[in-house]
Amino acid sequence: MAYVATRGGEKAIEQAERLFRQDLGTIDAARVETIRSTMPYLIDRVMGEASLYDEELAALALAQTGGELSEAVLVLRAWRTTQPRLAISRPVQQHEILTQRRISAAFKDIPGGQILGPTLDYSHRVLATDVLEGKPFAPPEVDKAASPAPAQQPSLAEWQRQQGLVAPANASDVAPEDIPDLTREPLLFPASRAHRLQSLARAETGGVLALGYAAMRGYGNAHPTVNELRIGEANVVVRHPRGTEFSAGRVRVSQAEVTSKEKGGYLELGFAATFGWNEVKVIAAATLDLNSDEAPVGSAVHEEFYLYHTESVEASGFCIHFKLPHYVTFQSILDAMRDAKAKKAAAEAKGETYVAEPEEEPAL
Amino acid sequence: MFNETPSGGSAHGEMLDILARARPERLKHHAETLLTDMGEISVVANRTGLVMVPMRDTVQNVDFHLGEVLVSEAHITDPAGHTGYGMVTGRDLERAMAMAVIDLSVAARGEDAATAQFLVEEKAHQAHADAERMRQVEATRVEMETF
Repeated sequence: MAYVATRGGEKAIEQAERLFRQDLGTIDAARVETIRSTMPYLIDRVMGEASLYDEELAALALAQTGGELSEAVLVLRAWRTTQPRLAISRPVQQHEILTQRRISAAFKDIPGGQILGPTLDYSHRVLATDVLEGKPFAPPEVDKAASPAPAQQPSLAEWQRQQGLVAPANASDVAPEDIPDLTREPLLFPASRAHRLQSLARAETGGVLALGYAAMRGYGNAHPTVNELRIGEANVVVRHPRGTEFSAGRVRVSQAEVTSKEKGGYLELGFAATFGWNEVKVIAAATLDLNSDEAPVGSAVHEEFYLYHTESVEASGFCIHFKLPHYVTFQSILDAMRDAKAKKAAAEAKGETYVAEPEEEPAL
Repeated sequence: MFNETPSGGSAHGEMLDILARARPERLKHHAETLLTDMGEISVVANRTGLVMVPMRDTVQNVDFHLGEVLVSEAHITDPAGHTGYGMVTGRDLERAMAMAVIDLSVAARGEDAATAQFLVEEKAHQAHADAERMRQVEATRVEMETF
């Protein structure tokens, strides 16, 4: 690894940062609140990828990075390291989620029924240009049902398990403090299921979509059908010093199960979940999970491939580091080129054939 | 020690659930009205921090970490050793402290009439908000047919 320091650039660097921030203008609490309250799905995406749930901080990160998502996730991840961990909550279970959207593409009559919730799935996507002509768009009110939907919906996978459609699973017996945690230990392969699902939960949405889509189009070994897609709010259940469990608040979560085909007498299922409402991410991530077990090493659906390449901060950081000065490295390439040309010319002058030495890849 | 009921009040867990979701300004105002009669209070902690939230995978029942939530925490005591505790999602130390003050008041003196009324009102407000939202959600229920 070889870099050179850039001398004499301090002033330019300072002015470059000033130029970036000047273009964004003054950031105040009102701007942050506007972003928070008007772009909930963007906020959700940033919180999920940052693996830090706080709408206000996510909005601030978007404001001060001008909406550059990888930078926003980076500053949130960095800020997270300044905070102590106070507790680990009780694990969220599917049947406890305040469910506001729940659909299945595999079974039309699921226990609890299908609820579309807030979605544009069945709507025309038309840009409301009238707004730019001075005609605000005021959404029509929902015609509320006479009675509320049940706050909780049963687990479809559990029902399928009772029907003998899904393989039995052992009850979880891991204490919360013993759950593997990628924020405190490295990702090693083969990854534990806990590491795989945590990594997917914080993965970059676009990266997960690209690789999941590749699997869906045929570059994987299993084509997904959504067994259940669920979005809702989960309680953050913590303990009072006297031992009482209580909810410190709710967080928005998404989760998806996808299925493909029968394996060993049971439906094969893939699973993924994330902070925030982000359907594309969890469906694509569950597809990657579904494809993992029989994935050829080096393929896009092999866990080492997709987990390494969808880690937002590492991927964007590695990508943008290539614009930093690589003068020494590049100079060595030029030196090698010139040396080879000189040796070739000398050999040709003697009437000999020049055979180049095998190249070694320079360390970047 | 689990889901214990402090003397003279709602179930402790339910009370804490309500306080954590209570409307911030009302919560702070009610805590301030209690403070005048509470004497000396020691602050053990009043800080922001993170709570890691695990989730259970429905395919293999494996618990994994979904991510961390920013919370505000307040932990206070009185000279008699009673504990008041508040934890709320988000970055609002005053809100956490207000929750802890009400919790300490109930632990030390039982649930006074004003606190009982406050809890009833906030519980009703929260239940109403949830019911209204879930009535909207119910309106999106669909019966699928196969053609």
